[in-house]
Amino acid sequence: MRTKAYNKTVGILHWLLALSIFFLFISSWWMLGLPLASENFQLRAFPFQLHKNIGITLVVVLAVMLYARFRHRPEPPPPEALSPRIYKLAVLDHVVLYAVILACCVSGYLSSSYSGWGTELWWLVELPYWGYENEELNVLYSDIHLWTCWILLAVVAVHVSGALYHAFRNDGVIRRMLHL
Amino acid sequence: MAVTLNKTAGPGWASGLGAVVVLLGVLLAAWHGNEWMKLAIVGVPPWSLAQMPDADCEADELEEEGLTLAECRQLALSMHDISISAPDWFPAFHIAVSAAGLLLALLSVFAGVALVDYRQWAAATALTTLGALAVLDVVSFVGVVMVGPLIRQMYLWSILLWFFIHLSMAVAALAGYRNEREARRSWHAPE
Repeated sequence: MRTKAYNKTVGILHWLLALSIFFLFISSWWMLGLPLASENFQLRAFPFQLHKNIGITLVVVLAVMLYARFRHRPEPPPPEALSPRIYKLAVLDHVVLYAVILACCVSGYLSSSYSGWGTELWWLVELPYWGYENEELNVLYSDIHLWTCWILLAVVAVHVSGALYHAFRNDGVIRRMLHL
Repeated sequence: MAVTLNKTAGPGWASGLGAVVVLLGVLLAAWHGNEWMKLAIVGVPPWSLAQMPDADCEADELEEEGLTLAECRQLALSMHDISISAPDWFPAFHIAVSAAGLLLALLSVFAGVALVDYRQWAAATALTTLGALAVLDVVSFVGVVMVGPLIRQMYLWSILLWFFIHLSMAVAALAGYRNEREARRSWHAPE
C-alpha cells in the first residue's frame, strides 16, 4: 500500500497545536477560579500572560503549519478509504477548524487590548496596544472569545471522532498524519 | 516534499489503540502541565488564612466576570485549599509526579504514533510507557490518600479514572504484543 502522507513538519506542528489548545482550555478553566486581580492578589498575572503568549504563538504556528501544508500537499486518500463526498466534508472540517482557532485567538487578543492590561510576548517584548481601555469592547470581544472557544471545542470533537473512526477502520487515512 | 508511506498497514488493533493512546497522551500532557503551573502558583499562598487581606470585589469586575460577591470572596479563600490540606512534602511530591507524568505522557504519544505507523517494537514500547503511567497513577493516588480531604476531593477521582484508562490501554498493548509474538512464532515454526 502506498499512501502520500503529510510532511513531518506539518505533523509536528499539528501535535504542538493540539497540545497547546488542550493546555489553554484546561488552564483557562483553572485560572478563572483564581481571585480577581487587585493590589493584594496578583495570582492571575502569570497564567494570564502565559495564556496570551501561547495564544499569540499558536497563530504563528498555525500560519507556519498551513504554509508547510500547502507547499507539500499530499494526494487525497484513495476513494476506498475516503469517498469524495466524505473527503469534501473532511476538508470543510479543517477549514472551519482553522477559522475558529484564528477567531478564538484574535478575539482573545482584542479583548486583552481593550482591557487595559498589557501583553509582554514571552516576557521579552512589550506588544503595542491595538486598542484603548474600553469596557464595552473588552466585554464584547471577551464574549466572542468565549463562544468561539466553545465552538472550537465542538469542532475539535468532530475532528477527533473522524480521526478515531479511520484509525479503527485501519484504512490508512490516520497514518497520513501519524507516521514516524 | 510529501512523505510516501510504502509499507503495509499494521494490524487493526494497533491502529485503533495507537490513535487512542496519542489522543489521551496529548490530553494528559496538557493536564500535567497545568498541574505543574497550579502548584507553582498557589502551592504556597503568600498569606496565612488569618492574615489574608479582603478580596477586592468591585461591582463592575463582578459583572464582567459573571460572579456574585460571595463567589468572589470564595475565590480568594479557595486558594488556601491546597496549603490547608497538604503537609509540607505535598507540593514537591505533586510537582515531581506532574513532571514525570508530563514526560511519560509525551513518550506515550510517541509510542501511540509507532503503533499507528506500525513498528515491531511499538507494542513493547506502548506496554512499558502505559504500564509506567499506571504505576505513576498508583503512586499519585497513595500520595493524595495521605493528605487532607480538600485535596482528596480535588484529585482522587481523576487519578482513579486515569489509572483505569492507563491500565486498560496497557492490557490492550500486552494482548496485542502477545498475539503478534505468537503469530510470528507460528509463521516461523516448521510444518
